[in-house]
Amino acid sequence: MGLGGARPTRTLLSPAGEGGHDPAAPPIALESVTKHYRGGGGIDEVTFEVERGEVFGFLGPNGAGKTTTIRLLLDLIRPEAGKVALFGLDARGSSVAIRRRIGYLPGDLALYDRLTARELLTHFAHLRGGPPWAETEKLAARFDLELDRPIRALSKGNRQKVGLVQALMGDPQLLILDEPTSGLDPLVQHQVHALMREVAAEGRTVFLSSHVLSEVGDVADRVGLIRQGRVVAVRRVEDLRRRSVHLVEVTGKAPFDSDAFARVPGVVRRDLDGPTAHLEVSGGIDPVVRALAGYELEDLSIREPSLEELFLAFYQGGGAT
Amino acid sequence: MNGHLVGPAHRRRGLHSVFERAFDEQRRALVGWAAGLGGLGLVMLGMYPSVRGNRSFAKLLEAYPQALRTLFGLADYTSGPGYLRAEIFSLTGPLLFVIFAILWGTDLTAGEEERRTVDILLANPVSRARVVVEKWAAMVVGVLVVAASLGLVLVLIGPAVKLHVGLVALSAAIVSTALLAVLFGTLGLAVGAATGHRGLARGVTALAAVAAYLLSSLPELVSWLRPARPLSPWYHALGVDPMGTGYRPLHLLVLLAMTAVCLAVATVSFDRRDLAT
Ligand SMILES: Nc1ncnc2c1ncn2[C@@H]1O[C@H](COP(=O)(O)OP(=O)(O)OP(=O)(O)O)[C@@H](O)[C@H]1O
Ligand SMILES: [Mg+2]
Repeated sequence: MGLGGARPTRTLLSPAGEGGHDPAAPPIALESVTKHYRGGGGIDEVTFEVERGEVFGFLGPNGAGKTTTIRLLLDLIRPEAGKVALFGLDARGSSVAIRRRIGYLPGDLALYDRLTARELLTHFAHLRGGPPWAETEKLAARFDLELDRPIRALSKGNRQKVGLVQALMGDPQLLILDEPTSGLDPLVQHQVHALMREVAAEGRTVFLSSHVLSEVGDVADRVGLIRQGRVVAVRRVEDLRRRSVHLVEVTGKAPFDSDAFARVPGVVRRDLDGPTAHLEVSGGIDPVVRALAGYELEDLSIREPSLEELFLAFYQGGGAT
Repeated sequence: MNGHLVGPAHRRRGLHSVFERAFDEQRRALVGWAAGLGGLGLVMLGMYPSVRGNRSFAKLLEAYPQALRTLFGLADYTSGPGYLRAEIFSLTGPLLFVIFAILWGTDLTAGEEERRTVDILLANPVSRARVVVEKWAAMVVGVLVVAASLGLVLVLIGPAVKLHVGLVALSAAIVSTALLAVLFGTLGLAVGAATGHRGLARGVTALAAVAAYLLSSLPELVSWLRPARPLSPWYHALGVDPMGTGYRPLHLLVLLAMTAVCLAVATVSFDRRDLAT
């Protein structure tokens, strides 16, 4: 068993380039990756790729397997089956070379509490071959971080900032951020989102996990949804938004017939519940409004669905890509 | 490479490597243990004048059966080497050193896993093997610092109470004790690295240390255990009486070899595991 040295897979996965760097290889590529814990939980057959220069949002409810996937990328845990590659390099065999190029913010962040932020950051800068302190200090200033207090004396949000600064420091080509905005106030969350966009604009890549689609929708180019250990959909955020859908909820004075609205163009889903009908309308809303003219109404609401609803509707209908 | 990293706190505590960080992490404990073992040396030296050349004491001890005298290292109790052997190097000293090393060794990786800081440490481009070896080296240096503290007290203050011990015998006893501690610290590191559980590693390693002590000492009373003695690292360190016989290179080599095996096991098993799960 190698002690972190190169393994044959490295040459297989990376045809050329110095340090095994294949510029065409995606920053992250998972192929049928399976990992189970003793006592249940884990991920099954996870397959997806993250492209260079994008912000990829990894979305899922608590316990879905986000942290598991991320710790597999960092080689902190090892898959039972499947291939994990970063920049075309094997996650295990080339772990050190990979980690030279990534910044990682753990989801369950624990820092060396007795050090000050400055001590921790200079220590890590040394371990990484010394990104200039001036730049790190600029980052810290951007987050308004107190550098000279022991980390244990910082609030949760300020500790999170220390974690973010160490991940961002040295301008890594790939940022892997596990719930980066947890514990941050809205203003700082906004700053973090802005930073992610800047990173992507520079051609670097961001992979972030979250359990709120609205956050991911704001910042990500693409979203992967994971539930119960399976990636069930990967979508472009703009494709989701482009789908113009309206949700209509209408209550009549009398119950609707069972075939009401069935022939109205654009109605993609109908749920009749006594006097109330729930309609999902794709395209223009006009035909539905005309159809409603034939009824006596108690109540009517028309709204656009949240990104969440769009996403869910999408994967229920389409399945994973 | 490090020219830019200048800040006031950085100048005070420049943690360049995993080694330095591991050492810095335990510096308070280290100061305490070094002071404690130096203090032990001082107290023992302070009591020596009442023992030195005391005939009635010698007679009293001669009344004990030979086996018990060897077991408690009482041969020659009123002389300098005999006194140090009995009071420090038969049990108390090595025991304290071994505890110190086990506490540190088991914390190196297992503590990092239990505190969940292993994620942030391995966010850096350092191999797991390097983490294990550098942290181990910090523990070794720590043991040497404590050994130096005890040794200096005995060498510098000993003459003041007319404790006459050859430098070779004394250094042999201290080096043997330190190597024994390093071995158990490394064993603790290995169990911790293989399991990720600090408490478990401490229990297992302490048990091994007690077993090693008994296996080295009991053959004085139970002769059929004698052939098993070479299995005990305690025997190779102190059972062969470095205070009386000086350096025993082959025995020290056995200790070093056992340590090397433990370090190899630590490195390989830490490299293979899922961390902090
Ligand atoms: N160390 C572990 N030992 C056993 N089971 C685990 C372990 N870590 C995670 N699990 C289980 O694996 C599943 C996935 O957990 P994971 O931490 O990857 O979820 P997550 O998507 O990150 O959730 P959250 O949003 O709460 O952070 C869960 O069912 C969890 O209980
Ligand atoms: Mg998580």
